Amino acid sequence: MHDELADDGFGVIAVAIDEAIEEVRVLAEGITYPVLMDPDHLLTELYAISNVPAVVWIDQHGRIARPNAYEFGSDLLTEFTGRTCGAHFDQIREWVHSDALPEDAGSSIPDLSEEEVAARLHFRLAAHLRRAGDEAGAARHFDAAAQLAPLDFTVVRAAMPLRGESPFGEEFFKILEKFEAAGSPFHGIDPAQNTA
Amino acid sequence: MTTITILGDEATTASGQWVDGHPLIEPDALSAAIGWTLKPEGLCRDDMCVPVRDRSAIEVGDKVNLAVAAEALDRPTLVDPDAGAVVLGQPNATRRAALLDRQAPEFTLADLNGVDRRLSDYAGKKRLLVAFSSW
Repeated sequence: MHDELADDGFGVIAVAIDEAIEEVRVLAEGITYPVLMDPDHLLTELYAISNVPAVVWIDQHGRIARPNAYEFGSDLLTEFTGRTCGAHFDQIREWVHSDALPEDAGSSIPDLSEEEVAARLHFRLAAHLRRAGDEAGAARHFDAAAQLAPLDFTVVRAAMPLRGESPFGEEFFKILEKFEAAGSPFHGIDPAQNTA
Repeated sequence: MTTITILGDEATTASGQWVDGHPLIEPDALSAAIGWTLKPEGLCRDDMCVPVRDRSAIEVGDKVNLAVAAEALDRPTLVDPDAGAVVLGQPNATRRAALLDRQAPEFTLADLNGVDRRLSDYAGKKRLLVAFSSW
């Protein structure tokens, strides 16, 4: 997408909500657009992001043309996510070439709750304490974060590798079960209503 | 005096002390930490001042309560005296401007080579912001 539309006043900016720079480097191999690291999850606070991938369309004036949406850059995970990327790519082409926006672009997204904001602060402190070698302090704040926002993947799943757990392990599938029972909440355009 | 860790837009430290669980720092350190200065008319940055409702809560002796100052500026805070740290969230108004008024919040983050990049570096272009992860 980035290379195809680079001459049409369009660019991709990827942000890893992650501190594992070596893992991100592997994912970013061959990518020509900027890939930024956000180990403190500032974007999840600023843009009210609760899961990845989340894409935001930002126009040339710095306005959000289409808010947080659950869209993938490839079909590698289609079997798992049930989502394909082709329709989204077509919508981006239309937007770049003719300013046309999909119907769901006007969706209004609620603010984060106080608990969701607080969870992000606990996560940030936990990640900092872990990097500083304070495992007990980190565990305390990862736990507090998970209690405040138990279905927010940027809080609970992102913590897993930092706590020595596998983000694809048994614990994750327990969380996934609860998440799906709650209707797979995504902070942004409801993936089920997504017009792509 | 002790060192207080401040996790705001980036991680910094300030010299100060903990009194009854409150993070008290030097007035000079306040402007370094949050970009606002405590003046008689309130918390000020450039020509703008935000009035402070409870002066005695924010100004303690010759120190400033960092958490109260941040809250007066609409920044959510998390205080952990045991960890010696204060976390300052982004102003709630910035996120609300994104969600209600569709103003894309500015940010500065390092790329994989450690070079700081800003959203506004790409102003004038249509941009697809993609949040992803390895987890």
